[in-house]
Amino acid sequence: MASLILSPAEQDFIIRGVEKGFRGDGRGSLDRREVTLRTGMISQANGSARCRIGSLGVGTDILVGVKAEVNTWAAGEPEECGTIVCNVECSPSAAQEFEGRGADEINVELTQLLDRIVGGEQSGLDLRKLCIIPRQAYWVLHIDALVLDVKGGVADALVWATRAALLATKLPRVVVESVTDDSGVARAEFDVVDDAEDQMGLEGARDLPLAATFNQIGRRYVVDASEQEEAVTQAKLTVAVSPKMEICAIQKGGMLKGFAPSLLSEITQTALRIAKEEFARFDALFAEASKHNGELDEEPSTGSTFLEPF
Amino acid sequence: MSANIFDRRRVNGPPRSVEPLYTDEGDVKPFTNGGRADGRSLDQLRPIFIKTGPLAVQPTFSPTAPSGSAYYEQGKIRISCAVYGPRQGRKSNPRMGSFDCDFQYAPFSCSWKRRPHIKGADEKEIALILEQAMAPAIRLEAYPKACIDAFVTVIESDGKFATISAAINCISAALADAGIELYDIVAACSMSLNASQWVSDCNQAEEDVSQCSLFVSRMPSADEITYLLQQGKTMPDQTDRAVQTCSNSCARVYAVLSRYLQASMEQPAS
Repeated sequence: MASLILSPAEQDFIIRGVEKGFRGDGRGSLDRREVTLRTGMISQANGSARCRIGSLGVGTDILVGVKAEVNTWAAGEPEECGTIVCNVECSPSAAQEFEGRGADEINVELTQLLDRIVGGEQSGLDLRKLCIIPRQAYWVLHIDALVLDVKGGVADALVWATRAALLATKLPRVVVESVTDDSGVARAEFDVVDDAEDQMGLEGARDLPLAATFNQIGRRYVVDASEQEEAVTQAKLTVAVSPKMEICAIQKGGMLKGFAPSLLSEITQTALRIAKEEFARFDALFAEASKHNGELDEEPSTGSTFLEPF
Repeated sequence: MSANIFDRRRVNGPPRSVEPLYTDEGDVKPFTNGGRADGRSLDQLRPIFIKTGPLAVQPTFSPTAPSGSAYYEQGKIRISCAVYGPRQGRKSNPRMGSFDCDFQYAPFSCSWKRRPHIKGADEKEIALILEQAMAPAIRLEAYPKACIDAFVTVIESDGKFATISAAINCISAALADAGIELYDIVAACSMSLNASQWVSDCNQAEEDVSQCSLFVSRMPSADEITYLLQQGKTMPDQTDRAVQTCSNSCARVYAVLSRYLQASMEQPAS
């Protein structure tokens, strides 16, 4: 993402602006850009969402699909849990350097970040509920994210889209019954009910965290950096906070600098402070999105028409 | 996927193998009756051993020899690191040098499973973490158009987060050995949360039963945290406390590192 090269004058302009509390697009240092959320646009997936952070059709754009599969248990795997497998892929349409193997590094970074945030117990999802028959069968949730456009703040958009997709995910009901075979041995068997009406949401999806990335620019930091701001970012810190105000994951990024310890604790405090507003904003957007769930003809979801004109 | 690829250039193990019978020793539960299995106190680190220059070809200078190298032990963890450079790189930036890191587990390094030769996603990510943790310490602007490479091999690992922090300490020593200009030595330390108690420098068994692991890498004399990674859920004040404690432990690791490096300067290795 270092493709954007700014002149020293422009870099200086951004850095000094941030230190004085001004940003190029008029936001305050803790303001997020406009967020657009749509859910249920992929009919083949169990849950899907598209999140764009940015305005007027220009912004970081991420499409997430959640697909559930039944897996047979093998020795060495957890006995009474389902699993979550994350994969993030940056489309070459997002930036030229993602062509070929150019996106490998960022794919790995984002995949591991997403896995760290939603891949285990820390996500709040009840993985035990994803177990169908202990030591026999369990659900695997494949979270596949496609980064369609990169204009700064990819990690945040990724977590927002994933949270929406998991909240929208519906698993088919599974009927477990005990079958006695000819030799009189009883064993459990299951049946996946193939009925679009008979589905249920994921247990604990409301506890999923949201992430905010803080970009250190000069001596201050900003939330949701634009592409230009990201080009002068010295270090960044992604903090994932759950609705219960717990910290679910922290990861530092950026090669150029570290954080002063005082700044670090200030950032985690700020992350918790803004989390409440972020969740309120997410909930409003998600409720709006679920209202016209997947009605594509009313709400075209591709290209710049994805956004409603102002 | 990678496990099924037959690699004819290497000696492959038998296609089928039987799990050996383990003695009861492996079944010791960590944190039973309040203490740690190895008798350490909660904030005690495992003993550290460092040696710089194990990979140098002496006395004849060879162009293939690394500019600096280090071997690091911390309890069961054994890591070796070779640093090459500053040398001509593929990516040449006229204003700054680049620092690249390569991280690999040896196939036999992990207790639970054999590692395939092909790099997994976690190894690639750890390499990225190491780059981001070390780069703030290196005076990259002093090496325009050049490239500095660090190759880390984990011979034995014991705890993922502990291994990453050990790798950071090892690279620090190797970079110093190579004579790369640094702002400060980076020292790292890991911690895990178990039953709302933070435990320093956990081994694999202890990390497995913990609900949260975290590591901090820090430049103690510059007082700058170069990396912070937390996996798992905590209350906010717990994270603050852990970063504090980890920072103090980093200072202790730093003291060991700098004492060794100073001594190795005064008495060149025979």
